[in-house]
Amino acid sequence: MIRDIVVIGGGASGLAASISAKKRNKDVLLIEREESLGGILNQCIHNGFGLEVFKEEYTGPEYAHKFIEEFMDLKIDYLVNTTVIKLDKNNDDFIITLSSKELGIRNITARSVIISSGCYERTRGQISMPGDRPNGVITAGSAQRYLNINGYMVGKKVFILGSGDIGLIMARRMYLEGAEVLGVAEIMPYSNGLNRNIVQCLNDFDIPLYLSHTVTNVEADEDKRLSAITIQQVDERFNPIPNTEKHFEVDTLLLSIGLIPDITLLDDLYVEVDPKTKSAKINQAYETSVKGLFICGNSLQVHDLVDNVSKESSRAGLSASDYLDGLVTNRKKIAINPGKNILYVAPQYLDFGWVEKDLLVSYRSSKKIEKALVKVYQGEKLIYQKRRAFIVPAEMETLTFSYLELDQNQDIMIEIEEV
Amino acid sequence: MYDYIIIGAGVIGSCIARELSRFNVKVLVLEKENDVANVQSLANSAIVHSGHNPEPNSLKAKLSVWGNKLYEDMEKELEIPLLRTGAFVVAHNKAEEEQLFELAKTAKINQVPEFSILDYKEASLIEPNLSKSVTKVLSLPTTKVTYPWEVAFAAMENAIINGVEFKKNSLVTAIRKENDKFYVTVNNSDILESVHLINAAGVASDDIASLIEKNVQFKIKGRKGEYFVLDKRVKGFVKNILYPLPTELGKGVLITPQVHGEILLGPNSLEVEDKYHPTTSYEGLTYVKDHASMLADNIPFNQIIRSFAGIRSTSDYDDFYIKESLEFANLYHLGGIDSPGLTACFAIAKYLVNDVMNVNKKYALNPGFNPYRKKRKMFHRLSQEEKQDLIKDEPLYGNIICKCEKITEKEILDAMHGPLGSNTIKGIKKRTRAGAGLCQGGYCEEKIMKMIAKEFNMSPLDVAYDKEETKLFVSETKVKL
Amino acid sequence: MAKEFICIVCPRGCRVIVDDQGSISGNQCKRGEIYVKNEMTNPTRILTTTVKTIFPEIPRASVKTDQPIPKGLLMKAMEEINKIVIDKEMNIGDIVIEHILNTNANIVLTKEIKRKEERK
Repeated sequence: MIRDIVVIGGGASGLAASISAKKRNKDVLLIEREESLGGILNQCIHNGFGLEVFKEEYTGPEYAHKFIEEFMDLKIDYLVNTTVIKLDKNNDDFIITLSSKELGIRNITARSVIISSGCYERTRGQISMPGDRPNGVITAGSAQRYLNINGYMVGKKVFILGSGDIGLIMARRMYLEGAEVLGVAEIMPYSNGLNRNIVQCLNDFDIPLYLSHTVTNVEADEDKRLSAITIQQVDERFNPIPNTEKHFEVDTLLLSIGLIPDITLLDDLYVEVDPKTKSAKINQAYETSVKGLFICGNSLQVHDLVDNVSKESSRAGLSASDYLDGLVTNRKKIAINPGKNILYVAPQYLDFGWVEKDLLVSYRSSKKIEKALVKVYQGEKLIYQKRRAFIVPAEMETLTFSYLELDQNQDIMIEIEEV
Repeated sequence: MYDYIIIGAGVIGSCIARELSRFNVKVLVLEKENDVANVQSLANSAIVHSGHNPEPNSLKAKLSVWGNKLYEDMEKELEIPLLRTGAFVVAHNKAEEEQLFELAKTAKINQVPEFSILDYKEASLIEPNLSKSVTKVLSLPTTKVTYPWEVAFAAMENAIINGVEFKKNSLVTAIRKENDKFYVTVNNSDILESVHLINAAGVASDDIASLIEKNVQFKIKGRKGEYFVLDKRVKGFVKNILYPLPTELGKGVLITPQVHGEILLGPNSLEVEDKYHPTTSYEGLTYVKDHASMLADNIPFNQIIRSFAGIRSTSDYDDFYIKESLEFANLYHLGGIDSPGLTACFAIAKYLVNDVMNVNKKYALNPGFNPYRKKRKMFHRLSQEEKQDLIKDEPLYGNIICKCEKITEKEILDAMHGPLGSNTIKGIKKRTRAGAGLCQGGYCEEKIMKMIAKEFNMSPLDVAYDKEETKLFVSETKVKL
Repeated sequence: MAKEFICIVCPRGCRVIVDDQGSISGNQCKRGEIYVKNEMTNPTRILTTTVKTIFPEIPRASVKTDQPIPKGLLMKAMEEINKIVIDKEMNIGDIVIEHILNTNANIVLTKEIKRKEERK
């Protein structure tokens, strides 16, 4: 039996993609490696989810529950405790090799695949943090799971490196659970988390935020447990400035130093990758350079709002349905390139074979800009612009414009002008 | 009462234990760490060198060429993993080419097989990423890479099966000799007796010697080496190990493919004050990057998943120090076993047991000695058919716990049991590679923690990363801290 | 002197300015105005945390206050919540503590507590 769509990953992204495709009467199988659906939302017990999608504010588990209910009502097929270990192509079809205790190793064939496998946390190794390698240096998300799901404290004197949202949220959680949180260091001159989290996770509890600082030494005791860290101010090129050292005696260093899309499953398919998003390049239909292979959610680009993950993945589910319905013809694509002050754009291509007429582009700025003018050019021609009072890299921006009138032979470039 | 007590269960202590188990003797191995291979054997380049570098006629030269050959046997007997990479030592200009020719002469004297000199063009056909600044290379095809943890596991497991006792978490705190017997105090409490005592304590070998000797013949200086690990997705970036020309500091910063597909960059070589705490530094890691870049072009630094520092037990004695004590008969030291110690470990064991200690002349053979040891299965490396076969009988092979390295529940359970079973996160990682990949345990550590708690009937509060003191958690939530 | 607040009502995080005359600007919706007025007189927060259960497969369940409580009461509320142990199956929205610390807010579950066997 050949499935229409296999969705890999059952978090916010996979749930939304499955639901929208199922509503288009597609035969969908969702594969989740954990024992329950909902993904990382299950451990994000804080609130702030759902304002865009439900016009109401939910916690992570509640938000996931809403989607899981709809998913179950639609009677979509799914497997839990099942890991996809290989993804391959056979002519136009995909071969998905999965592994589980119940099924053993099994191949499934599908006409299209949606990757919604989320992201993983950057670790200490990836930033080459100097010092000893004791126990007690742990990513914020791992500590969050231990704390909120398992009910264990990883430490009681905590410092946090990186001001990503998980780090900020964990500062508050650890504080509320009785730990001493000595501070948060951020290597950039601005926070990487949402502003509201700086206010309600740090300021509310007088937890200091050290901007333009990073950890420059990690010390261990005799038993190889973390005993202390040193932070230092950095210059514009992120080099530590001498004599700015601050020493903290801590038993835990939480790392909130970035999330990276998990696309290891794409390794065998030679998908075109964007070094900026560290994920596959896509067209406006969330299709990768491999026809029929779609990607969305945090495995495409790391989002700061789950509502955007759901909306994006829902569109990806519809795109896969369009593809299966044979609505995509006369393919011809142009590139969408990041210009001045743009960190990345997604999609990276516009494919004229797809039927919608509006192009939605997500982007992040490469720096904090007040009074910004976002401009889209095709060659010399300005085809779209909009003003934004304030743009920061921590917050994903979007813009939408019609592409009906565009020249099908010339690339597009997006830039931000400081007014 | 033991015939032999070995202090230290790195690759050297483990290989000696196995070599002694060929004889009808009672052997005990004491290890201060919570596992075998936890200090010098834990963090190194994993290379089985060809023997091209050591001073001719030195013990290092003799034992490394011999040791390299023994690995071929051990691959069969102990199922030790070997990756036959070969190696290129590179020269960048005329002056370095001269040194390269000198090195080739040393290789010849040391009886290194099959070496040759290639020019850049020939070499770059084999290694397209070889730095364009390279002019000539010395090719050493017998150079290979092993998996040092597996070397220690294999030798020690085999030794245990053949009757050797192994005690971990056992720090030797005092030694005295009376009436031809050694009295070895462990953790300041238990006193063990033995006829012979073997000091294979690596970095701590001079400190162990000083527990009993007045004039210790060697001093461990401790040189740290810093490394980067590139993810296994870079597999194939180089096929050969790339060496610069050696200096008096050692073999220099290398690019070394690993048996599981990752690539190591490093090490530098810096004398450290605290030989028990090698640490990485910004300067050290920058040095490694800069020097690795002289060997190959376009190194994928964006695939770095880890950096670490290892320690070498370099001594002030010019060669391996493998001798009986000048002060006490039947006390044997293995001092200054730095590189090529891993290469030489099997040869060192044979040399010590037969040539230095003359065990073969003193004791009968162990009639039950079984030289073979089965490796734990690396499930994801099997063919689809082999996998299906195994899963039929054992469904837990279907449950992937570490998704980066694709390690299954069954493999992790197996690592908890057997002669050298482990109940720590690090122990499981060393045995199975769970947690050694891209996310560095971010995803699977929790699952393994739960498995350990369940399997050993422990509270999660008692699960440790490595030593007992390194618990994962300080408390439950909802209790007063 | 004008005072700047960052609205925390939603993740948008508007910068809201209150000038000397007390007039409020910068908020993109009405709730921002209410937030800032509260923040100047009686700042309140939603508290999210976990409670213990007796079920080994769900050792902790997530909870929240169903409306904001005074900021100053957060740690006291934690103490009350930490005393609770759930010993029966419950649903999302079920009340765990009524009128915590005599406020109008209840502590409610944000995750259902269903034993594994009975799920699905």
